[in-house]
Amino acid sequence: MTTTIVTRFLRRTVAGLSIAAALTLLGSATAYAAPVWERFEPVKALLDGATPRTNGIGLDIPLVSEDGSSVPLTVTADSRMRDDDYIEEIHLFATRNPNPEIASFRLTPHTGLARIATRIRLNETQEVIAVARTNSGEYLVSSREARVTVNGCLTRADTYDADNIMNARYRVPNELARGEIGEVLTMINHPMETGLREGADGEIIPRRLINRFTATLDDRTVLEARFNTSISANPYLRFHVRPEEAGTLTLAWEDETGAATQEKAPLQVR
Amino acid sequence: MKQGNITRRELLKFLGAAGAVSAAGSLGIAGCSRNGAPAGRVIVIGGGFGGATAAKYIKLFNPDIQVALIEPAERFYTCPFSNLYLGGLRDMQLIGHGYEELKQRYQVEVIHTLAEDVDGSAKTVRLADGRVLGYDKLVLSPGIDIRWDALEGYDQAAAEIAPHAWKAGPQTKLLRDRLEAMEDGGTFILSAPANPFRCPPGPYERVSLIAHYFKQHKPKSKILLLDAKDAFSKQGLFMEGWKAVYGDMIEWVGLSDDGRVVRVDAQAGEVETEFGTLHKADAMNIVPPQKAGFIAVRAGVIDTTGWAPVKPQTFESKMVSDIYVVGDASVAAPMPKSGFCANNQAKVVAAAIVADLDGREPLEARWTNTCYSLISPDYGISVAGVYGVEDGHIVETAGGLSPLGAPADFRQREARYAVNWYNAICQDTWGTSDLPLALG
Ligand SMILES: Cc1cc2nc3c(=O)[nH]c(=O)nc-3n(C[C@H](O)[C@H](O)[C@H](O)COP(=O)(O)OP(=O)(O)OC[C@H]3O[C@@H](n4cnc5c(N)ncnc54)[C@H](O)[C@@H]3O)c2cc1C
Repeated sequence: MTTTIVTRFLRRTVAGLSIAAALTLLGSATAYAAPVWERFEPVKALLDGATPRTNGIGLDIPLVSEDGSSVPLTVTADSRMRDDDYIEEIHLFATRNPNPEIASFRLTPHTGLARIATRIRLNETQEVIAVARTNSGEYLVSSREARVTVNGCLTRADTYDADNIMNARYRVPNELARGEIGEVLTMINHPMETGLREGADGEIIPRRLINRFTATLDDRTVLEARFNTSISANPYLRFHVRPEEAGTLTLAWEDETGAATQEKAPLQVR
Repeated sequence: MKQGNITRRELLKFLGAAGAVSAAGSLGIAGCSRNGAPAGRVIVIGGGFGGATAAKYIKLFNPDIQVALIEPAERFYTCPFSNLYLGGLRDMQLIGHGYEELKQRYQVEVIHTLAEDVDGSAKTVRLADGRVLGYDKLVLSPGIDIRWDALEGYDQAAAEIAPHAWKAGPQTKLLRDRLEAMEDGGTFILSAPANPFRCPPGPYERVSLIAHYFKQHKPKSKILLLDAKDAFSKQGLFMEGWKAVYGDMIEWVGLSDDGRVVRVDAQAGEVETEFGTLHKADAMNIVPPQKAGFIAVRAGVIDTTGWAPVKPQTFESKMVSDIYVVGDASVAAPMPKSGFCANNQAKVVAAAIVADLDGREPLEARWTNTCYSLISPDYGISVAGVYGVEDGHIVETAGGLSPLGAPADFRQREARYAVNWYNAICQDTWGTSDLPLALG
């Protein structure tokens, strides 16, 4: 169940009830009863004493995932995304992974929509937290429990192509109207080695991560991302762009070894 | 089937206890307790793996409970072994099962119509024929419905051209027709969905047995399996088997290689994947995203995932009391959505209902599952799991897979076990007793 849907559902159908009663009714009160983020150090450090809002932000993760190596996640914050009022940062945390910081994103008014979709690794059942910060310094927090089941039906496979590391794919809209919001899809072939697992020879496989991704429309930043070990192999990102005029969308990835890839896509604006 | 010939009158005579099985209440035939009142009224919706098993075992555990089973079809065609039919190894009639045993031996009132609505507070079920039946306990095992809004271009009309065949019956026949009509050298595409879905190994067994058919009749053909996942059930075993038996006839394209289909053009015989690759097919099988059968929605037992969350110990709905949801419609992960699990869950539900109606606590629940898959008629593989409840969640407590690299006779034995499994579960669920042991 997604927070966004719950929120919408609440507004539409049970507006008359208190929130607590309504959540009990939906059988999903557990995720809200004890806000884990209040006690979670990395989030406390980020908030630095500020009191966040818990509405206006939604985190969508399957309640139960059978494959913890690739769990789809979407975070959405309500925002007009205009110069005077936009979401500037989004941070994702997996509370019980070895490195709890999953990724951080910097957004701009050119992003058009404060929504990021990616795929993450979850070692075990745990709380996943999203924190967003507006350009005026206000914080928004959302948190969800994600269950990961050990499923004997699933065997792990190496999912990346060792011969073509740093090979990227993307999909951008053919054409947008001025000021229209379009979806951008990117994926890069990369192992995202955590430095925590052993190879067949018993030796630790050295850490190798894509640690930075940027999307720029000519000289304007659309999105900047920093990835950590909890982003799945073959980092996948879905985000948006709102062009005011035609330009070239440059998508750039860098990994820790210094390897880099760039893709350029013309964006037509009518 | 032998019991099919016995009329109700003969049966009553045979039982020699007509009084004990006289028509009682609105549900028709039913057992009665000593004081004449039934020990409770249970309605079961759906006569598939979960529902038929639940109806039978409630009667087996306590014949004094009145049980009515609502199922529109007079014959139920199983998805298990429908892949054998597609591969040309079994006739359709051999995967069809009836309800004679439930009616005659277990005194279940089987009503062949659709349940249209459930009122969880009045505790009634409305049938398509207008009747309204009351219950003390309701079991829902409606299986899956297709999410027709989930995949661009894939609606009911498209499924008449590019079948899903994920409910056995006319759709399965249609897919077989498409395969037969395909020319040698053609490309067959199967699109597999993300988790969770009915039968995690199903798409992979299906391409295996279609490859078996191609190898014999259309050896120049190709199979392209486009997948919305990066990992799948028994992956290593399937890949090993495909290589060994079919060379490179089967190509699997996972999520990270742009395998997720986002648009279907059934007319043009074309699918488009996430990053814009177009694939042309001469025959297509789209296994679309799924959700619990609509009656679960009517009963108010599903959440926004489209599936029904249940209390693990009893499979009673977390949302509406006295409604139990078993089989594919429930959220039972890590148990897979399999016929074996549905059958197992139904027995636990039957025991819980019988205990509750008798004022007793339910027993501690344990479940098992084995999914056999056939790569060819003499190449079987399996995955097994044992499940229990810990900290309020279902967990896998033991399990295992067939070994990789096993010798041919090992695979051959597992193929035989698969047939034995099918025959046994159909006997247990519908009482079908004369199924062949031979494969193809
Ligand atoms: C290709 C394929 C291969 C498979 N192979 C295997 C296998 O080898 N082993 C295994 O264990 N599982 C296998 N499965 C999975 C298995 O088919 C399902 O898990 C199983 O059928 C689930 O049982 P169920 O009772 O939930 O639903 P079903 O068996 O589908 O039964 C649901 C029944 O409910 C009825 N119904 C629905 N709505 C209503 C209503 N409103 N009123 C009245 N009746 C209604 C339907 O008509 C249907 O008969 C396979 C599935 C597929 C697709």
